[in-house]
Amino acid sequence: MISLSAISKVYGKKDTAFTALSDISFEVPAGSTLAVIGKSGSGKSTLMHIMSGLDRPTSGTIKIDDVELFNMKPKAMDAFRAGTMSFIFQAFFVEANQSCYQNVMLPLEIGQVPRRKRKSLVMNALKAVELDDKAGVLAGNLSGGQKQRLAIARAIVNQPKILFADEPTGNLDSTTGEKIMQLLFNLNKDLGCTLVLVTHDHELAARCQHQITIKDGHIESIVDRRAARKAQA
Amino acid sequence: MYTTDLIRRSGRSLASAKTRTLLTAIAIAVGTFALTLTLGASNGVQSYVKKIIANNFDPAELIVTADSGLINKTDTTKPQEYDSSFGSLTTAAGATVQVKKLTDADLLRLSQLPGVQRVRPAVSVALQYVTRPGMRKYVGTLTAYSSSQKPDLAAGTLGDDVPAGSIILPDGFLSSLGFSSAQAAIGQTVTIAVQPAFDQTSLQSAFASGGTAALSQLATPATTLQTYKIAAVSKTSTFSQPGTSLYLYASLAETQKLSDLTTKGTSSYRRYLTAFVKAADGTNPKKLDAVQTEVKALGYGAQSVADTEAFLTQIITILQGIVVAFGIIAVVASLFGIINTMYISVLQRTREIGLMKALGMRKRDINSLFRMEAALIGFLGGILGAGAAVLLGLVLNPWISNKLGLGGDPLLIFNYLQIALLVAALMIVATLAGLLPARKASRLNPIDALRTE
Repeated sequence: MISLSAISKVYGKKDTAFTALSDISFEVPAGSTLAVIGKSGSGKSTLMHIMSGLDRPTSGTIKIDDVELFNMKPKAMDAFRAGTMSFIFQAFFVEANQSCYQNVMLPLEIGQVPRRKRKSLVMNALKAVELDDKAGVLAGNLSGGQKQRLAIARAIVNQPKILFADEPTGNLDSTTGEKIMQLLFNLNKDLGCTLVLVTHDHELAARCQHQITIKDGHIESIVDRRAARKAQA
Repeated sequence: MYTTDLIRRSGRSLASAKTRTLLTAIAIAVGTFALTLTLGASNGVQSYVKKIIANNFDPAELIVTADSGLINKTDTTKPQEYDSSFGSLTTAAGATVQVKKLTDADLLRLSQLPGVQRVRPAVSVALQYVTRPGMRKYVGTLTAYSSSQKPDLAAGTLGDDVPAGSIILPDGFLSSLGFSSAQAAIGQTVTIAVQPAFDQTSLQSAFASGGTAALSQLATPATTLQTYKIAAVSKTSTFSQPGTSLYLYASLAETQKLSDLTTKGTSSYRRYLTAFVKAADGTNPKKLDAVQTEVKALGYGAQSVADTEAFLTQIITILQGIVVAFGIIAVVASLFGIINTMYISVLQRTREIGLMKALGMRKRDINSLFRMEAALIGFLGGILGAGAAVLLGLVLNPWISNKLGLGGDPLLIFNYLQIALLVAALMIVATLAGLLPARKASRLNPIDALRTE
């Protein structure tokens, strides 16, 4: 369960103050899918940064499974984040001069996972994205879709509770993008991790259980598809 | 992150920028090369000096002079008060100076000091010539033999002293005196010629009785010939004091007899420039120091082997200091190379750093990641430089020893512990050079770092 209450983010001071987010509150149950929709500059990325603890809100609180995120000391926060969340970015951010295996290993090293457990975890993650035959290949030699699959393998290797995906299909053609989305939804179902998808694509967002549309730092609309379906029934 | 993971990651990152890493490391290697060679030369010279001293001096002995100014500097611009112990000495530069010399009374006084085992004056005689029947005449010097400075023998055997009527002949004389081998010379005889001193008292009586004819006969004193049996033949050693390789040795009594003959009636009679004072149990530095203090308290100059060694190595140490200073300057200059390289590395890996931070990597770990990278460059540079120096040293050592006439002794002696310490020190300073770039990396804002534009 992720719950946000009265999150605001203001950049600058007094005259030059710019409100990026104001009074954002919502809840997402664990294991569900959430789409944060908005045009560029709407504040959706800032919201994702705050939800993931990368950025501090000016006011408001975030609880993840009853742990208050910004009450922690930096060291505890790093450890909590290393064990709880993962990221997928539009530009992949895989290390081109390292092998696929080494790329996927990074979160395990950061999380200080015991060495004997690492190999099977990495190989399982690579298998889940069908890259297990490329373990020794340099990431730079992969195609765009493969790179994003590698990024997904890296994101799921330490079995995070929350997976943040920032425009994961933005740099891919529509066929490959569709495959990546299918993979993400399947992982959400199989691993039971909460998927937070940041996108400007309404079609993609429509496939998520929860949709939050952000406009000029405010929540424009919240849709809970499951609740809507229940209401229909 | 585990330290081994950090080291592996920094190693991989260096490997992915091979040229840059190598060039930065080479800059450090230049300084390390100079430092390693200097250390090697320093070890070599020290060992060489130690060997020379061990071959020529007894560590339990002090070299004692009557004139403490010979060992401890005195003011040479003021005249010294005369007493009968003064004698003249010609310096290497050709100046004749008056110095105080030791007398038999001095030797007695020294031998009665507590803790003194034995006192032996340094006696040597400038021979008129050395020869054998049918051979040419050669100049030579005869010196008193000391059992504490046994020369290496090419042939013959020696007890604690040279037997009366015998001498030790240096192997440099063998062919000149017509011996086919060192062994062939043993038991043979050589003739030594000395010229008795011009005796003032006999001069006066000769003038009174025989007039000018008797006087002129006295003025050209008769040469005294002595025949000695060759007891042993000494080997020329690379470690003998310069200029002493052709010295003939006889027992102290024998040498003293010849010395008396050549100096009787002159101011040099029974005057010794130096004497060797052997302390009982003198290899123990405390006992030797105690005797040295006593000897100095009596107004004599006293120098121990350690003092001699320090004197001999002093100039070399200064020269090495200069080379080491240049090596350190080179290393310091190359540190800026490390700083530069590390800044570029941080800049190039901005996104990687951002990602690592987003994944929960601690500030401290990111800091160590870059510091280790700098340390690895230092390590690489150190190994490259020291390795090249050791290789060059091993290749050139025989040639250098040959050119410098060191015999089989290497000039460059590498101490691997010393080199390991040098490399460790380089890694530490390289880490210091990496501090600023590592701080920059650890302070990077992950949101800025991950911005895609």
